Amino acid sequence: MIYIGAEEMISPLGNDAKATFSAVSEGLSGISLVHKAGLNQTDIHLATIPGLTVSRAFENLIVAILKLVANNVDPDTVASDRTLVIISSTKGGLKDSIADPFADVADTILQEFNLAHQPLIISNACISGVLAINTAGNFVRSGHYDHVIVIGCDVISDFVIYGFQSLFAVSDKPCAPFDSGRAGVTLGEACSAVVISNNPQIYRDRPYSLLIGTSANDANHISGPSRTGEGLYRSVSRTMAQNGISPADIDFISAHGTGTLYNDEMESIAFDRLGLVDVPLNSLKGYFGHTLGAAGVLETAVSIQSMRNGLLLKSMGYIEKGTSVALNVIEESKNTQIRTVLKTASGFGGGNASLLIQDL
Amino acid sequence: MSFITTYCHITDRNCYLNGKLVASFDPGSSDSWLKQLYKFNNVTYPKFYKMDTLSQCGYLASEFIKASNPDRFTSYADDRIAMVFANRCSSAESDIRFQNSYEVLQTPSPAMFVYTLPNIVIGEIAIANKWYGENMFAVLPKFAPDFFINYAEILFSSGSEAVLAGWLDVTEVKVNAFVILLEKNTGGIKSNIVNLTELIEEAFT
Repeated sequence: MIYIGAEEMISPLGNDAKATFSAVSEGLSGISLVHKAGLNQTDIHLATIPGLTVSRAFENLIVAILKLVANNVDPDTVASDRTLVIISSTKGGLKDSIADPFADVADTILQEFNLAHQPLIISNACISGVLAINTAGNFVRSGHYDHVIVIGCDVISDFVIYGFQSLFAVSDKPCAPFDSGRAGVTLGEACSAVVISNNPQIYRDRPYSLLIGTSANDANHISGPSRTGEGLYRSVSRTMAQNGISPADIDFISAHGTGTLYNDEMESIAFDRLGLVDVPLNSLKGYFGHTLGAAGVLETAVSIQSMRNGLLLKSMGYIEKGTSVALNVIEESKNTQIRTVLKTASGFGGGNASLLIQDL
Repeated sequence: MSFITTYCHITDRNCYLNGKLVASFDPGSSDSWLKQLYKFNNVTYPKFYKMDTLSQCGYLASEFIKASNPDRFTSYADDRIAMVFANRCSSAESDIRFQNSYEVLQTPSPAMFVYTLPNIVIGEIAIANKWYGENMFAVLPKFAPDFFINYAEILFSSGSEAVLAGWLDVTEVKVNAFVILLEKNTGGIKSNIVNLTELIEEAFT
């Protein structure tokens, strides 16, 4: 069995998992209108972490999250020669070094935490986080490592803001995934981590079971989702088949739900084809914005917290059906036992990825 | 057991297939080196002209590998061909161009922005071939044979039947792409860290 746990997060809503999940449970969102942060000094909704350093914000967040995670596992785990660190990020330390955005962070944590192995960086657009967790699971299952610490992190930059604005993909109000009035993404920043291991004893709090998933390309368009949801359909159906899971086994879907017209529509079509439209579903983007390379790890970590606390979180920003296929979007947070979770992600470059987490 | 069945190396001036020189830069041509290779390959794919150099380079390497044995991929289902690429600097060249579009030209270019993710090259190859397989783009300080071999083994054990993998180190002034095709039960160079290290040392020196 492959275990997952020790989840941590530094987000606009809190400086650790406990504070962040407590804010989310109370229905708070990290999104606010930021003055003059957009192109041509326009105001724009963003989910920003208060007090980030101007330089080396990316690196400092990664160091901070590793310190938090180290407290959640056996203290020897981080520097063990049986441990790998994977970083999932789209733009890394772009603001510090656009020509070599990942070199500094790797060197810093190698030295500061005395890591035994060069960290692996996965940069696969918005599926990076889910892909990184699956890769971690695979490296543990194959015996290459006993433990993998997966960190997802991206920070907001002019680069990313102007890029999404140039695509006319940014919402003029806080993003509203799956809602009929949705009008695009809200960008966010976060740093989150989970630990994958073959040993349940390393965790301070009880771990869950990671049912390793798969990825699949849409082979459709580099910056637009497939109209048939083919890649997401293939990824989820293979993930379920490889783990012997049927739609009736799934209690909750943590969807990607960016809040763009086409993405959310694509997801609804894929979930319909998969027989999953009745499963309670949310997108966490209404709380955290789209945190890009951090999203898959952050949303998995929050979903694990949902399992721990027996709390299905409402899909912030959703009011009424906005996709051609009706989904069971969670409208009010509610206490219930959650045994099996499906996490999905889709992104630029046609990537789709999925994984399952199960109560032991 | 898996094997390295084809390998393609594109440098600033030369293109090699399985260690043999197949094309060299023509200084008399008005075309860029990658455009020369595109024409040399004789496959018409107009999307090539829209791609950034990272995507062009990966696309060309995949086409040279296909051309070495046109029937090569027809026996695989469309979701059994995985792709794993890596480099040191992610999409830095396109990132700098996009940054220039808003800092200097004052108008951020959406056409440039969509190439500011390193995995776009995987999307381009998937689109060109209608491949729905597993994908990964990793950033590593240097070519790491163990990463490619270990991860390919994982992909083979979870259902992939062929893995197109490689190093795509591409900037405006430097091209160094080394792409391999790994297949199961075919014969060829045994896929292991020692053999891949040897191929790389031979190619990179």
